[in-house]
Amino acid sequence: MAQVLGWLFALAIASGFVGALSGLGGGVFIVPALVILAHVPMYVAAGASLLSVVATSAGASVAFVREGWTNLRVAMVLQCATVTGALVGALLAGHVPAWTLELLFSLTMLQSAYVSVRKKGDTILPRSDALATRLRLSGHFPDYSGKSIAYGVANVPAGAVVMLVAGMMSGLLGIGSGALKVIAMDSVMHLPLKVSSATSNFMIGVTAGAGALVFLARGDVPTAIAAPVALGVTAGALIGSRMLVVISVRWLRYGFILLQLLIAVEMGWRAFSHI
Amino acid sequence: MTDQAKSERGDQILRFWTPVLLRAILLVSVLLLLVGLCLALARPSSYYMKSFESAQQGLVRQRTSLPMLLNEAVHGNPDAVMIIGLMVLTLVPLARVVLCLWVFLREGDLLYVLFTAYVLVSLILGVFLGRIG
Repeated sequence: MAQVLGWLFALAIASGFVGALSGLGGGVFIVPALVILAHVPMYVAAGASLLSVVATSAGASVAFVREGWTNLRVAMVLQCATVTGALVGALLAGHVPAWTLELLFSLTMLQSAYVSVRKKGDTILPRSDALATRLRLSGHFPDYSGKSIAYGVANVPAGAVVMLVAGMMSGLLGIGSGALKVIAMDSVMHLPLKVSSATSNFMIGVTAGAGALVFLARGDVPTAIAAPVALGVTAGALIGSRMLVVISVRWLRYGFILLQLLIAVEMGWRAFSHI
Repeated sequence: MTDQAKSERGDQILRFWTPVLLRAILLVSVLLLLVGLCLALARPSSYYMKSFESAQQGLVRQRTSLPMLLNEAVHGNPDAVMIIGLMVLTLVPLARVVLCLWVFLREGDLLYVLFTAYVLVSLILGVFLGRIG
């Protein structure tokens, strides 16, 4: 027993650590770790992972809110979409065949690897489009020198559609789906990079919370796995975010991309062997 | 107070209280999870292994009512203590949304009060849908 528990803790701490260093969150690593290494069914892993996503996002977001990068209005408008998606996803999770979940996970990993690879050009819109102006979504954020930089927002409906999908993936697969959220805000709605990652972090916790509540109420959260995983991932993430200040992750970037591709291949392979 | 000043004040309150509240909830949840795990460790080894193995087989559906859960937790049932710890954890996102709702209410921003209320209602709806689904 102590061996199994120690093994789960180690997996969770490693996932939280890698999740924090890569900025992808613990969910995308703990779910495949549980499925591939601990032989846990996908939707059971998803339930346990959602709770650890809630825990890590709570820890990480504290710093972001304080520094004033989070755009609360953008978060709330888009949250309506992600939470709806998360509810649908979590309700479906217990009823969808395993191979579908594995295939979706594999595709999500590929998309996430693509986000890590692509060049990040930060464009700042001088003003918002008509709808975003009506919703008063424009904001400002402090740059390195402390100067306040104003930015505009565009394409809210398209962003909301991507967010709906992101929410659904979160509820189905037990991940924060930060990579999809950043795509919606950064590429579709043209928010500055720092603002979109801080806002996405705020949203991840609420989206995962919506899914987690469905899993908990349904009684689909195995405490034997969820408790050590939530504790381990949170501890790993805390260590990871401390290390982030000390070590340079630039050289690790390719390692993370490779890891995501490996997980995508493994989960894809599982999906096809289940069909 | 101008709208700008009002919004800045709301921001300040949010920035001060969010970390305090979130840390407190997170701490309570972590403590409950630790206590639950220790209680499980105190039982014979087969107790934990049985629930681990049934999770591996995908048999997890354990639906109990909240009063029953609390009663079991008070009597030192490890699973009940851990489930309550996990429930406390889900209060973190709920608290964040409630804090936002409060800020938008203060600003008298009806549109955003509606958006935030929708998110809050959906979160609570999730619990009911989970009971049925």
